[in-house]
Amino acid sequence: MSGFLSIQGLKHFYGRRQVLDVESLEVGEGEILAVVGPNGSGKSTLLRLINLLEKPSSGEITYWNDSRLPDLRRSERKELSRQMAMIFQEPLLFKRSVRANIAYGLKVRRMDKVEREKRVDEMLDKLNLGELADHDAMTLSGGEAQKVTLGRAMVLRPRLLLMDEPLASLDVPSRKILRADVSRLVREMGVTAIYVTHDYHEVLEIADRLAVVIEGTLLQAGKPNEVFSRPVTEVVAEFLGAENLLEGEVVECREGMARIRVEGAELEALCGLHPGSRAKVLIHPEEVILLADTGDAGSARNRLPARVTGVKVLGALVKVGLECGFPLVAYITRASQEEMGIEPGRKLTAVIKATSIHVMPFTGVRS
Amino acid sequence: MGEIWNGFVQALKLIVHFDPYVMRITFFTLYICAIATGVGLLLGIPLGSSLALYRFRGRKLLVTLVNAGMGLPPVVVGLFVYLFLKRRGPLGFLNWLYTPKAMVTAEIVLAMPLIAGITMAALQNENPKIRLQARSLGAGEARSVLTLLRETRLSLVAAVIAGFGGIISEVGAAMMVGGNLLVNGEPYTRTLTTATVLEVSKGNSEMAIALGIILLAITVLLVWIMTLIQQGTLLSHPARVARNLLSRRRKEAPA
Repeated sequence: MSGFLSIQGLKHFYGRRQVLDVESLEVGEGEILAVVGPNGSGKSTLLRLINLLEKPSSGEITYWNDSRLPDLRRSERKELSRQMAMIFQEPLLFKRSVRANIAYGLKVRRMDKVEREKRVDEMLDKLNLGELADHDAMTLSGGEAQKVTLGRAMVLRPRLLLMDEPLASLDVPSRKILRADVSRLVREMGVTAIYVTHDYHEVLEIADRLAVVIEGTLLQAGKPNEVFSRPVTEVVAEFLGAENLLEGEVVECREGMARIRVEGAELEALCGLHPGSRAKVLIHPEEVILLADTGDAGSARNRLPARVTGVKVLGALVKVGLECGFPLVAYITRASQEEMGIEPGRKLTAVIKATSIHVMPFTGVRS
Repeated sequence: MGEIWNGFVQALKLIVHFDPYVMRITFFTLYICAIATGVGLLLGIPLGSSLALYRFRGRKLLVTLVNAGMGLPPVVVGLFVYLFLKRRGPLGFLNWLYTPKAMVTAEIVLAMPLIAGITMAALQNENPKIRLQARSLGAGEARSVLTLLRETRLSLVAAVIAGFGGIISEVGAAMMVGGNLLVNGEPYTRTLTTATVLEVSKGNSEMAIALGIILLAITVLLVWIMTLIQQGTLLSHPARVARNLLSRRRKEAPA
């Protein structure tokens, strides 16, 4: 799962403005890497550099066949670019039929007509586009058009598929359909894919790994649950929508276990920071346990008397606002809420395991 | 009024009877315009594409020249081509003055900026990501530009219409560098426009009207054909018929 694509020290400038800084990033064969970050953070530039559409200012990209950018010969560049395909945010279809659009890349590769038609027909079938095959591509809906761009890329059987916010211009039902198509085709065909988006919700279902790029810098890469539960900085945590991101100060730290003062309360958490250090504390709302009384909370180290400040029903879950020396949000099921009679003003105990608290050094940078 | 009517009747007779003089001038005009438009396309489309898609030193000057060239008065073009081609001019050694070559040169100078300017505007209006998309699907630089040009084909046909229409209807440059000559009774540098001017000056209204009607008919016919191509109705209909036939055959084949 490693060494398929390796990026080292990649930097890119537009004029004097640095738009990308990726110290190190690996993509394993057959995996789907989601690159997430706010708009304008350099994600699309990263894709264009990988796709050889732009030359990086410095750094190296090593491809699966050991070709290495920037030392690529013209023939290697051509060969590599023909093993990749890219899908953009807009469908960018050519003014010709759906069939001709899907056949474009194969025609560029001068594939024999019989084989080309066979491949195109197969792809039309896979995407249920048979009925639209002879339609003018300009008459398609947004969802259909983006489906054609997916077919146009996948018919090439690329080693690497690059997707630049392919769902961004679609409505919710079309997104759902296309996301399923992307996932199915990529897995079926064993293609390695890099999927760029500003909306991380879009890729959680399908990504094997997640890379967070903010203001041009790759801040973290790893399995999605690792990145979500252990963001390396508050900037990453905030971008990933952390609900309970609190400022605190390390009071004491012994053998990796620290006491951290957060506003009017103290928390025990796993942490390697020195006493006196300022810290950012992340508490995942789904890991907060609410007890109606002072009953047994197992081995949990943090038991905080709390008062309910607000209750909001979010479908099957309920978001409970609490005041326990600092504001805290917890997610519980609707059944639990009804059973415990949780209403604003109700007093209860919030229990948080030390291992459920993630402590980061305080940088003072806000995203 | 009677003179105009008689003129029309005579003109129609000349056309219906395929008057050799009228036919020769007509074919010569089409010949000159076709070559000039063709060369104008060969030069104008790459020039317009380069100006639209690439940044290089001197680009702004070239863009200004092309834009200025789109509104060049034919007489001024004729004058400059004349000054270059006259016996003591910089290109006098070519001995092209008062030959069809001189006329084609002047017409190219008129048509090329029109074609380049419209091509440039069309490509600049197109989404530049189309080219990136083509490249990301494996197209090389040239193929990606060709793909983008194909996307702007409506505007390119408009460029051809503008170029062709500009030169078939002009008289100043053709007269100045061609001289409106007949050699052994055959039109050597005489086009429909220059012949019309001559016939009017001779008071030969019937012939002038006949030439005028032919000029008008050719212009309207060719522009109509190009408009059909542009709007996709001329080529798409036979293509649709062929597609239907093919798909019917495919369906019948397994049975």
